[in-house]
Amino acid sequence: MVVLNFTLTPEAASKIHDLLVCLGKFSDTVAIEARRERLTFTALNSSKSAYAALTLEGKQFFSTYECIPSHGGLDGRFACSMYTKALLSVFKGRLYDPLGRDGAIDRCEVSVQDRADETQCRFIVKMICNQGVIKTYKLTYEAVDVMHALFDRNSATNRWSMNAGAMKEYIEFFGTKTEMLDIFAGEDGRAVFKSYTEKISNGKEILKHPLVTAVAVNTSDFEEFKVQPGLHIVISVKDFKAIVIHADTLKTSLKAYYSHPTRPLQFSYGCDGLLCEFTLMTSGDYNGATAPTPAPAPQIASRVASRAVSAATAEARDNRSMPPPVEPASRRSARREVGSRQPSSPPTRPQDDPESLFVNQGEEEDTQWEPVDYNNEEEALGWDASTDRNAGNFATFQDSGSFSRSDGVQGNADSMEGIAPTQRVSQIKGLW
Amino acid sequence: MDEEDELPLLTAVSSSARQLYLLLRCINFAEKAHVQINEGGLQFSVDEASVMEGSAFISKDLFTTYTFRAPAPQRPSQREIGDSDDEEDEDPDETLPTFQISLPALLETLQIFGLTDTNTSKPPWARDNPASTATGGAFTNNVLGMNNMCRIAYDAPGSPLSIVLTEATIRTTCNLTTYEPAFNEEIPFDRQALALKTIMRGTWLYDAVSELSSTSPEKLTLWARTRGRKPYFALSSSGTLGSARVEFNNTPIRPPPPSNPPADTPPPASNLLETFQLSDPTSTFRASYKFSLIQRAARAMSVATKVSVRVDEQGVLSLQFMIEVEAGKVSFVDFRFVPLVEEDENEGDETQFLGGEGEESDGSVMEDEDERRA
Repeated sequence: MVVLNFTLTPEAASKIHDLLVCLGKFSDTVAIEARRERLTFTALNSSKSAYAALTLEGKQFFSTYECIPSHGGLDGRFACSMYTKALLSVFKGRLYDPLGRDGAIDRCEVSVQDRADETQCRFIVKMICNQGVIKTYKLTYEAVDVMHALFDRNSATNRWSMNAGAMKEYIEFFGTKTEMLDIFAGEDGRAVFKSYTEKISNGKEILKHPLVTAVAVNTSDFEEFKVQPGLHIVISVKDFKAIVIHADTLKTSLKAYYSHPTRPLQFSYGCDGLLCEFTLMTSGDYNGATAPTPAPAPQIASRVASRAVSAATAEARDNRSMPPPVEPASRRSARREVGSRQPSSPPTRPQDDPESLFVNQGEEEDTQWEPVDYNNEEEALGWDASTDRNAGNFATFQDSGSFSRSDGVQGNADSMEGIAPTQRVSQIKGLW
Repeated sequence: MDEEDELPLLTAVSSSARQLYLLLRCINFAEKAHVQINEGGLQFSVDEASVMEGSAFISKDLFTTYTFRAPAPQRPSQREIGDSDDEEDEDPDETLPTFQISLPALLETLQIFGLTDTNTSKPPWARDNPASTATGGAFTNNVLGMNNMCRIAYDAPGSPLSIVLTEATIRTTCNLTTYEPAFNEEIPFDRQALALKTIMRGTWLYDAVSELSSTSPEKLTLWARTRGRKPYFALSSSGTLGSARVEFNNTPIRPPPPSNPPADTPPPASNLLETFQLSDPTSTFRASYKFSLIQRAARAMSVATKVSVRVDEQGVLSLQFMIEVEAGKVSFVDFRFVPLVEEDENEGDETQFLGGEGEESDGSVMEDEDERRA
């Protein structure tokens, strides 16, 4: 039996609406992971190239917050997944209205009904309006295991930060149909945000009409701008827009952290107990000034130093998580074996990956890298179920706390090998 | 020009087609509407598969002049389409003219001069210019209230309904074909044997129904009960993604916090349900209706000041909306719905509600207890 009860003020409920709108731009479903002291909304897009985690601090964001997971002790969690649309129909806009007009709520109480003596498990949201109207929603949910993308900010040497409101003005110039956004740190004290569309022609056939918009921003307009000059990094415009628009609702500053193309990029912002982190796949001009050579070294170093790195490097490759489907079934079974004997697996493996993994390649070059080191391909995924970037021992995969996977990164790396990243841990429970 | 003719059965002049339009729009869910003309005004009624009907009564108060000449009984030459003795209210043997008309066409007609409707959301340039350029000065039609004259005439049974819209110097005449009335049995509603009656603000009901629509439900269930003299009224529905319920409690669970004072909320803050009567206060009332039908009354809900929700012993639901078309003048739009036959599955629904609600102050076990007592 799980206990999860929390109460929201109208302002907080309206923030939940905003964040759901934002997550809805990434995925149809949103996962909710509740821990004793915080609640996290996560979304992973269908191509697994973008991952969002919005964490609400129990004490700060909520009026009251109580979560007692059914198992797992202090590290336990309750996780479920729901349709974003269903939640949005509950957390509508204009929940917070200073004038107290119709539709405004007094408070919002959420609880989870997940008891052995109940025939139905429901996520119950109760909107209590001022005049004695109570709206109760009982939503169905799916119990899932939530995986988190890891990101190591220590290795992300490039960072900038800018007021979201200002950034929002820039994104309005981007063409609506454009797909990619190139963030370029010029040497002349300017940063250029260029939106464009890739592969506009296929042979002679024009597939898309190109509209390239470049917005040059003085680096002095940034609150912080520490980016290696000449570095291009490319992300999806759509994701970026969604993030900026949401950051703007919080009237806060958007911070970006990244190392170099093909490594993950993280946007982070937050205030008042709401912390938003978006980890995005990047591509970019890897032949350019950003020589790939310097990268591996810090990676290795940080890997040795902190285990978080494995994950950090990893999620860059959530785009690469695409390969698993092509892998032959026989291999998969082989790797499962590896996974099953994980406690004894050799600790040397992580050392292997710098060579194979940290060669900077674009995702188009899958063919190049994929055969090189098959074993580590999974490691590249770096999903961590623990959200905690700074925690020492990383459970890269963890099954809702029922396993305490504290045997370090090797074990985790191996355990990961048993599972395609797209697979729910619950599905492979039988292995352990 | 409105009194030029002695012959027509009906001559009515309204200073604005807008009021008629607002009222008739509420029942715009069917192709044909029955129109019955009587002394008090015009009764428009539409019906859907005999399980739902809506009617709007346009009282003669809404017209500046309203002249109805009841057809003389000795009028055998004219076609006998007017005998509307099926109408229960005006049952006296006199033959009231009744006919069918295309409701969408009528609404289109009334909208013809929507551009100069001062109250519409049309841009000002579209609204002001015609009038001011036409005459100008203090004697504009807008100032004189002559901008949007609507004259309705019905000469004799079988003749078209003629609507003349006069605006500035433009005069439009529309003749709408009338049809023979179809045999139309009203949904019987027994006002003398009510199981439930409650009155609340129309927007509350509108809000509730639109909340419930998010679950894309098949049916809507009404719940009502009294406990400790406190009324409780709820609407619930369930769909694939879950269920939703909107409850109305007359006594707020806690008073509104001083931080956000209800600025423009009227006094009903304390009395959500103005009237609340249950025929059997000891038990829980429950009835289900097809959601899509109830939703057709949504427009009426959204514009109504108040709605009276009544259910008779047989479960027929009557929603009566009081709509203020103009300051001080109210009109009524009625809907009636035939209930869905209760299935056993409802019991499951109920237990679900009981279980889920268990904790809240007064909402919880009362159904349970009520039933045990009953």
